[in-house]
Amino acid sequence: MFNKNIKYALALNICAVLTISQGCKKSFLDVPPQAQQPSVEFFKTQEDATKAVNSIYANLREWKQTAFAPMAVESLGSDETEKGSSEGDATYMNAYDNFTVSATDGQLQDFWNGQYQSIQLCNQVLDNVPGIDMDAGLKSRYLAEAKFVRAYNYFRLVRAFGDVVLRLHLPKDASEYNLPRTPKAEVWAAIETDLTDAAAVLPQNYGSADVGRATKGAALALHAKVAMYQKKWGDVLTYTNQVMGMGYTLFPNFEQSFRIANENNSESVFEIQAKSLPGIKDASTSQYSQIQGVRGQSGGGWGFNVPTQALADAFETGDPRRDATIIFRGETTPEGDAIAATGDNPRYNQKSYVPFNVPFVQNEGEDQNVRVIRYAEVLLMNAEAANETGDATKALADLELVRARARNGNNAVLPKVTTTDKDALRTAIWHERQVELAMEFDRYFDVIRQGRAQAIFGPKGWKPNKNEVWPVPQNEIDLSAGVLTQNPNY
Amino acid sequence: MKRIYTISGLLLLFTFFTTAVLAQNVTVKGKVSDAKTGEALIGVTVGVKGTTTGTQTDVNGAYTINAASNATLQVSYIGYTTQDIVISGRTSIDVRLQSATNELQGVVVVGYGTQRKLDVTGSVASVKGEDISKQASTNAISSLQGKVAGVQITNNGSPGSSPEIRIRGLGTVYGNANPLYVVDGVWFDDISFLNPNDIENISILKDASSESIYGVRAANGVVLVTTKKGKGNASISYNAYAGWQKVTNQPQLANASEYATLINELNGKNTFADPASLGTGTDWLNVVLRDAFTMKHDLTVSGSTEKSSYSFSAGYLKQQGVVTGNDYDRITAHLQQDVQATNFLRLGYNAVLQSSKSKDIPGGVIYKAFTAAPVVPVFYADGSYGDPNDYPVGNIPNNPKAQLDFFNQKSNNYRVTGNVFAELKLVKFLTFKTSFGGEFGQGEVLSYNPVYQATTTQFNKISDLDVSRAEVRNWIWENTLTFDKTFGKHHLTVLAGQSAQRYKAYSISASAQNVPNTSDGDQYLTLGSNDTANPRSVSDGGSLATYQSFFGRVNYSFADKYLLNASFRADGSSKFIGNERWGYFPSIGAGWVISNEEFMKDQHIFDNLKIRGSWGKIGNASVPANLSTLLVNQKAGFTAVYNNEPATGANITQIVPPITYWERGVGTDVGLEMAFLSNKLTFEADYYKKETQQAIFAIPVLGSLGTDGGTIIGNQATFRNQGFEFALGWRDNVGKDFSYSVNGNFSINNNKVLNTVTGANPIYAGGGAATGGQLSTRTIVGQPIGEFYGLVVDGVFQTTAEIASSIQPDAKPGDFKYKDLNNDNKIDAKDRAVIGNPNPKYLYGLNTSFNYKEFDLSVDFQGVGGVDVYNANLGLRYGSENFTKDFYDNRWHGAGTSNTYPSANIGGGQNYKPSSFYVESGAYFRVRNLQLGYTLPSALASKLFMKRLRVYANAQNAFNSFKYRGFNPEIGGSATNAGIDNGVYPLYATYNFGVNVTF
Repeated sequence: MFNKNIKYALALNICAVLTISQGCKKSFLDVPPQAQQPSVEFFKTQEDATKAVNSIYANLREWKQTAFAPMAVESLGSDETEKGSSEGDATYMNAYDNFTVSATDGQLQDFWNGQYQSIQLCNQVLDNVPGIDMDAGLKSRYLAEAKFVRAYNYFRLVRAFGDVVLRLHLPKDASEYNLPRTPKAEVWAAIETDLTDAAAVLPQNYGSADVGRATKGAALALHAKVAMYQKKWGDVLTYTNQVMGMGYTLFPNFEQSFRIANENNSESVFEIQAKSLPGIKDASTSQYSQIQGVRGQSGGGWGFNVPTQALADAFETGDPRRDATIIFRGETTPEGDAIAATGDNPRYNQKSYVPFNVPFVQNEGEDQNVRVIRYAEVLLMNAEAANETGDATKALADLELVRARARNGNNAVLPKVTTTDKDALRTAIWHERQVELAMEFDRYFDVIRQGRAQAIFGPKGWKPNKNEVWPVPQNEIDLSAGVLTQNPNY
Repeated sequence: MKRIYTISGLLLLFTFFTTAVLAQNVTVKGKVSDAKTGEALIGVTVGVKGTTTGTQTDVNGAYTINAASNATLQVSYIGYTTQDIVISGRTSIDVRLQSATNELQGVVVVGYGTQRKLDVTGSVASVKGEDISKQASTNAISSLQGKVAGVQITNNGSPGSSPEIRIRGLGTVYGNANPLYVVDGVWFDDISFLNPNDIENISILKDASSESIYGVRAANGVVLVTTKKGKGNASISYNAYAGWQKVTNQPQLANASEYATLINELNGKNTFADPASLGTGTDWLNVVLRDAFTMKHDLTVSGSTEKSSYSFSAGYLKQQGVVTGNDYDRITAHLQQDVQATNFLRLGYNAVLQSSKSKDIPGGVIYKAFTAAPVVPVFYADGSYGDPNDYPVGNIPNNPKAQLDFFNQKSNNYRVTGNVFAELKLVKFLTFKTSFGGEFGQGEVLSYNPVYQATTTQFNKISDLDVSRAEVRNWIWENTLTFDKTFGKHHLTVLAGQSAQRYKAYSISASAQNVPNTSDGDQYLTLGSNDTANPRSVSDGGSLATYQSFFGRVNYSFADKYLLNASFRADGSSKFIGNERWGYFPSIGAGWVISNEEFMKDQHIFDNLKIRGSWGKIGNASVPANLSTLLVNQKAGFTAVYNNEPATGANITQIVPPITYWERGVGTDVGLEMAFLSNKLTFEADYYKKETQQAIFAIPVLGSLGTDGGTIIGNQATFRNQGFEFALGWRDNVGKDFSYSVNGNFSINNNKVLNTVTGANPIYAGGGAATGGQLSTRTIVGQPIGEFYGLVVDGVFQTTAEIASSIQPDAKPGDFKYKDLNNDNKIDAKDRAVIGNPNPKYLYGLNTSFNYKEFDLSVDFQGVGGVDVYNANLGLRYGSENFTKDFYDNRWHGAGTSNTYPSANIGGGQNYKPSSFYVESGAYFRVRNLQLGYTLPSALASKLFMKRLRVYANAQNAFNSFKYRGFNPEIGGSATNAGIDNGVYPLYATYNFGVNVTF
């Protein structure tokens, strides 16, 4: 019957529908990742290599690299700063000032993670860019830039923790996830290898479109500092002498050299580049200036990491760098900001200061570059190495260059240092480092390197055979299931 | 007459014969109606018992059937007791069906069909629409709280957020742990867009065998929602309520003088010279919170004509949030039509339309109010905002009122969902159904940040307009073939089906600076700056996933005594690659209705006695796509700056596991169903065991790997939930005026980790600002997932002398004294222990209803026990945040003042570390819903041209009892971070008055 035939046909039709859709399944289920590039497509072109190297530089200005974690680990232990801000705000920071910090404090983990995140980005470039078919010169420069940053990160890690996990390649598989700590001597050696490689390739200068990238001078200067921490005075001399032949000069006005308009000036050896980018809000990530900015004033900041009275007292009478380094409560800055007469803290960091009327989209002062290595420090390293190797004349000449610039034409202050006594000259150079590099996150580890930590930091709790390094973050030890060990006496 | 059909195909490999030999046939006609209301029932199945002959009632409830004059008619309908009627030569038989007091004969909705409760071998719970819509909840799922054994509903989070639902414990760790919702055949992750008034029935599939037919989406349970259909004569009904929401069980905070006292103690000096003089100050919670008005109107027109049924409804909801300035408006429409086109073809559709708009509030504003200093006024005398910077309290937190006032964000959501279907009766016992459904949604957010200066630190110098659009385009196409036939005492149902699904989402957002703000007409990006200093920006994102599935099921029963069900589903998903793309999900179940056995015939104890058991496999694909594909991260933070010019950066910042497998679930269920005393007393008990194998989740990895986020996602662990569920019901009438029912349910769940990829090493998680960055949970083999893990507090140091002789030399008086669990004379990470379990052990509910003449009363109780909460708000302090009054009253402030609470320095020293002090019981008990109604006598109502008029008063969450010191012990959260309370979401009660009218 007709009716029955229709039903029969429909039944067959169902089977057809089921069959067809089954046949389609392959293409229907193949969906590429949406809005994110799979990595197999990355590291294929020169443009990919460029982007990856960009990420390394960009990441350097991020919170864990420039804000609270470095403040805790690299600054607060010193005698030049204290926590600042409101008394009750972020009191855990005090534990870095009085050396009661335990392995579980979050800033340790942040510092650790921040450095390793940067190292991971560098390792991506170092492992993957060699295989890209691209301009050979650019390729080797990119690799050198990545090595410079990686060396900078390991330098910060080895200073802070001693033995650390040394990762010079991406983990091949899960068996390389959980690595033990490498003795610090090997870490120092790896840093030196990276810096030697980098200095061999990096250019002395870049065209204007590339200002801010690591240069040969930056690699040599950092290498000198790395050598200085190991007391390899001959190497310090060698590297700093090279840098001194590259045409760097001290910027005439010390105070002005820290302003936004004078970023990447003739004195700048390496700066972490930052910029307020209204069109790319989330790229305006630097909080370096904000956390140290004048508290309680519009356009200022949070008021952490403030200079101590001890620092203010460390400057020689009339040293213009005192006023250029410290914002005193009640003063009016050279840029015209009146600092209120009363408030939470008596002093603030002037080197990270950004005038209150500079616009920002995310964080006050997000425009401010971080001065990592200035030529003044190169001169002081050269001076110290010269003195240690018996060349007091050279040391005095270097020292005088730094003091002369600070003097800024006023011969009534900062008399020329003339002593040729090795110990006295060393003390003078160390003092010069203290005031020249004040508030630049150098002092804490510098004093430990000098072997004077117990004398200088002891009164506020620093203990030998313990506080030379910070504890390894407890979470990291937990996650390693015991593969990582804790530093002694923590 | 004898006919043979043979149908064969790739998927239909069954051949069957049908024989229908009828001698003395009569044509029986009649109507089927509801025994109580007299309303005609449409679509009732009227069959001839022991044959394949059957029909359905039409829109007037009428049927016509040919049957042997001595045959027995079987009349069955969802929610009603099936009746057997011997024809005895009659030609006209009207049937009045009793709604299913005996649930066994009732029909329940299961995956891709319905079953008599008797035939079910798994664990399926049904909740009627009226039990959902009568509550004040605007979200249907929220109304299920306490109604069903083994189903945990957590109503936490900000107003408007969807509740968390866990069926038989935690089924998955990563991604969406909520169940699959199937609304009229269309699949959803969330049904908050549904108007509870449009729901006819909710069926919850709890055991793996029932869920298995939904394969890879079923691991967290399946909730089947059937929307309303028109039936009977045309009717108009109007339901409305109005009322208010009021924050309840709000913890008291320290007032200004108490706060100043605490800050002085914290700073160890007189930051405030004279705390007592400060008085009570500002109660910031009261500034931010309010009694919020809410109302809802629903109008439904439904009915049926000769060939079709229809139901059209419109609903309007207006809900103010309990936070000042938060408003939500929702308009919903539900359209349903159903046409019997020919005697073998039925066509129909369901559609839900929703449009909502809200005025949003800044995230965390309640937390800001919780922490704001009470010494700061809302406004100064001159009308300017109270500025925390004018007080020695720091600027964290800022002035919450200013934050609210300058927040300007509006959201709109539009959605159309539904399906169209065609059902073709090929022969009497073979039905083909095709259903095409989908979801078409759009979300819009417009946010404008004006130029303002409220306080020293709360200001904005450049105005900013952000606009975003998100769209969802999903479809699902399913085809099923159902064979349903009775051979003597054998009843066989076979289902075969195929499904294809596609889920696509896309969002785009853009922003511009310096947009003028003179009227709403200005809110266009194009009016903003577009130069290098203030360029416009745009970004987008999206996702796409597809599924392809084949499934089949066989249900067999013999003489209503022996039951056997088996199903199989094959699912392919675009989210997985290679050999892991396809997953296969079998299930099997068996049941024995002992009370239908011959030997039980003469006993009078059991009206029903049934045992059943089932086993099934299920999967979980509610994880992000392409888990094993390493992706490139091109975030804005990677934009480098050279010479002050931006340069796009990208890199790889994650590690992925080489292969990610399906997350697989395997579950067994054994159940016992009993009814006594003429079905007045019913009892149902279930034992279940459910394993989630190769659970996918993110575990923290070593920081030295340098990944962004510090986690690696993959198949990390296998864990098990097992437990018991009990449901006991009693219903009875006393005289003709009074009837009542009491239904209680109780469930016990135990969660245990069976293995982890880290082997004997624990998986630590639960870190974050709330715990001072400390990992506060531990997941280890043999223990529940995500246990709280920390130090054990052993009192509080009273004096410096006590500290000097202790092993915590850095402590100060008022600091916690910790237990040296490993006896190594120092307190460190090795002294941590399990300090609590966030997985609830007991859930219970008691639902009662009483009817006396025109009055009705229902009271629902509900609670959770055997659960811990980590009260992270106590120790989460950056500076001068406010404290609770409880803390003020109990704190240590000098030798001998407290040996349990620390000093005001609770957020400093070692006091903030995860410890037993912060772990509290999360148990609670509440009167979930209380409703008293009065129905006008029908004689009186008809004078008012109404069929029915009922008025009621309702209170939800009116009474809550818990010991927890925070706002609300219902915390929830993802598996390894569950139960950590680091937000502040107040609990609120809703009081309203309503009316139900039918014309």
